[in-house]
Amino acid sequence: MNCVAEVNRLSLTDFNSADCLIYGIGNVGRQDDGLGWAFIDWIEAQGLCSKAETVRNYQLFLEDADLISRKKRVLFVDATKDMTVEHFALYQEQAKLDFSFTSHAISIAAIMATCQLCFDRQPDVYVLAIRGYEWALQEGLTEHAQVNLDQAVLHFSKSD
Amino acid sequence: MSRKLVIDPVTRIEGHGKVTIQLDDDNQVTDAKLHVVEFRGFEKLVQGHPYWEAPMLLQRICGICFVSHHLCGAKALDDMIGVGLGQHIRLLPGPEKIRRLGHYAQQLQSHVTAYFYLVVPEMLFGMDAPPEQRNVLGLVEQDPALVKRVVALRKWGQELIKTVLGKRMHGISSVPGGVSKNISIEERDRFLQGEEGLLSIDEVIEYAQEGLELFYQFHEQHREQVDQFAVVPALDMCLVNDEGNVDYYHGRIRIIDEHKHIVQEFDYHDYLQHFSEATEAWSYMKFPYLKALGREKGSVRVGPLARLNVTKTLSTPLAEAALKKFHAYTNGRSNNMTLHTNWARAIEIIHSAELIKALLNDTDLQNTELLMIPADTAWTGEGIGVVEAPRGTLLHHYRAAKTGDITFANLIVSTTQNNQVINRTVQSVAQDYISGKAEITEGMLNAIEVGIRAYDPCLSCATHALGQMPLKISVFDARGNIIDELCR
Repeated sequence: MNCVAEVNRLSLTDFNSADCLIYGIGNVGRQDDGLGWAFIDWIEAQGLCSKAETVRNYQLFLEDADLISRKKRVLFVDATKDMTVEHFALYQEQAKLDFSFTSHAISIAAIMATCQLCFDRQPDVYVLAIRGYEWALQEGLTEHAQVNLDQAVLHFSKSD
Repeated sequence: MSRKLVIDPVTRIEGHGKVTIQLDDDNQVTDAKLHVVEFRGFEKLVQGHPYWEAPMLLQRICGICFVSHHLCGAKALDDMIGVGLGQHIRLLPGPEKIRRLGHYAQQLQSHVTAYFYLVVPEMLFGMDAPPEQRNVLGLVEQDPALVKRVVALRKWGQELIKTVLGKRMHGISSVPGGVSKNISIEERDRFLQGEEGLLSIDEVIEYAQEGLELFYQFHEQHREQVDQFAVVPALDMCLVNDEGNVDYYHGRIRIIDEHKHIVQEFDYHDYLQHFSEATEAWSYMKFPYLKALGREKGSVRVGPLARLNVTKTLSTPLAEAALKKFHAYTNGRSNNMTLHTNWARAIEIIHSAELIKALLNDTDLQNTELLMIPADTAWTGEGIGVVEAPRGTLLHHYRAAKTGDITFANLIVSTTQNNQVINRTVQSVAQDYISGKAEITEGMLNAIEVGIRAYDPCLSCATHALGQMPLKISVFDARGNIIDELCR
C-alpha cells in the first residue's frame, strides 16, 4: 500500500487486529495539540478497532521503537501545523534517521529507523496528521480544528 | 576587537537556557554566564487549589522527574495533615517502601536517559564530532545492540513507574498519609523474573554494570580530558541517614567541604533558617546559598557527584564496590571533576537497580495497611518535603488555609541549587576551551554544553515553566555586539 490512492482507501478495519497499534500523540491541555487523542477518543467511543492496541502519549519516545517492533501495522495520529494541509493528511511514513532527537521530541521516521536497526523489524506505518491552529494552555479544540477532526472522522466513517 | 559568544539554545538538557561568553580584544574570556530565560509560574498557579491537588499539579512541571515532585509533594502533605516527618512520624512500612520503589524506579529511568541518551554518544564520538552524529540516533547507527539494551532498560523503569504510581507519566498513587495501592505478587514477579519484552531484575543489573564499564573504558582512553575538564571545587549537599550515608527518600541535610568536613547539618524542615535565595537580573533561575556562609561562599552542589562525595558507603554490594573505586580515585577527598558526575551517575544506576531488587523481595510491598488516618486535631496546615531527585536535593513547601486551599508554595529544585556551580563550570570551560583562540569552532561551543549537561539540568523544573524549551550560545565583543551565535 504505497500510492496515494491506496493510502486513501485505508480503512480502520485494516487496523482491527491485535498486531495493530493506533497511537495518539498530543496534549489535551494545549488546545489543538489534543487532536491526536481526540481521534482515539472517537475510535473508542464508536467501538472501532477494538482488537487493536491504542496508546495516548504526549510525545514519542525512543522506546516506541520497541513497541512498534511488535506490530504489523501502525497508525500515528497527531496534530500538524503544516499550512499546506487543509483538513487532514493521511500518508505512509518511511524510516529515516533524521537526527531529530531531543529529550522532548523525536520524529516518527527516526522511531521507524531505530526499530529497523535495533529490532530488525519494520511494520507498515501510516500517519494521520490533522491540522491544528492554537496551542495555548487551555482544554478543548478550536472551532476550526474540530471541523478538521470531523473531516478525518468522516473520511474513516466512509471508508469503513 | 573584543567579542561576545552566545550559545542559544543549549541542547540536550531539559529547558530553555542561553550561554553568553564575553571576549576582550585579545580573545580572552572575561565573563561567561548561563542565563535561564523561562518564566517561573507554578508556585503561583497552585495557590487556591485544594491542598491534596499539589502533588498532582506540581509534578507537571516536568516530564522526566515527575515522580520526585509527586513524592516530595506527598511528603509535604503528610506533614500538613499531621502524620508526617515534621511530627517525627514515619509512614507505615508498606507505604514507605512502595514510595521508595517508585522513587528508585524513576532514578533508574532518569539516569539511564541522561547517561545513555545524552552523555554516552559524546563519550563514544567525541565532543568535536558533528552534531548529527553525537546524539542517540548516531548511536543507533553505530551500535544498535547497545541502544536495544538501553531501550529495554528505560522501558523496564517506565513499566515499574506505571505499576507503582498508576501511570507511565504523572502518577497518582501517593496520597496524604500513604499510598493508594500496594504491589501484588503478580506485579512483583513481572519485574523480578521478567517476561516477553520485559527484562528481569537480574538483566537490569547486568545492563547497568555494562553502563559503568563504558565509563571505565572511556576514562581509560581519555583520562586527561575527563579529569581536567572543568574541575570546580564546591560544597556538596545531600540527604543522609543516621550513619551519614545518602538516603534518597528521607534524612537530614548534610553539607561537606572538599576535605569532607561537615560544614552544616540540619533537619530539612528548618531550611528557611539556613538557606536564602539571591536573584540576578540576567536569569530567571535563583541562586540559593547558605546564610551562614553568604552569597559568595554559600552555594552548594547537588546531584550524583555531590551524593557520592557525601556518602561514606552505599548499601548494596555492586554499587559499594564501585563507590570504593570512586572514592579511592581522589584519595578520600571530594571529587570536583565535573565529568566524573557521569561516573557517579553510572554507579547510581547500579545502586538504584540493586535497591529495587531488594524491595521487590520485601513482602511489605503486599501489605494492605496503606494509610495513616490522622486525628481531627492533627491538621498543621503546613508541610515540607525533601527527597533526593535524580538531579539532586528537591524541596517542596506548602501552606494551606483551614478550608484546605493552598495559600503558599515554595519549590527549591536541584538545578536551582546547582545554578552557581553550573555558572562556574561554564566559566571554567570557556577559559580552557575558548580563551585566546583566534577561531571559535562548533566543537568549542559544544564543550560548554558538555559542562552544563554533566549536571543534567532541568531548567523547566528550576523555573517551573510551561511550554517549548530550546536553549541557545552567543559571543559578544567589548562593545556589546553579537559576533557569533549557535542556535539549535
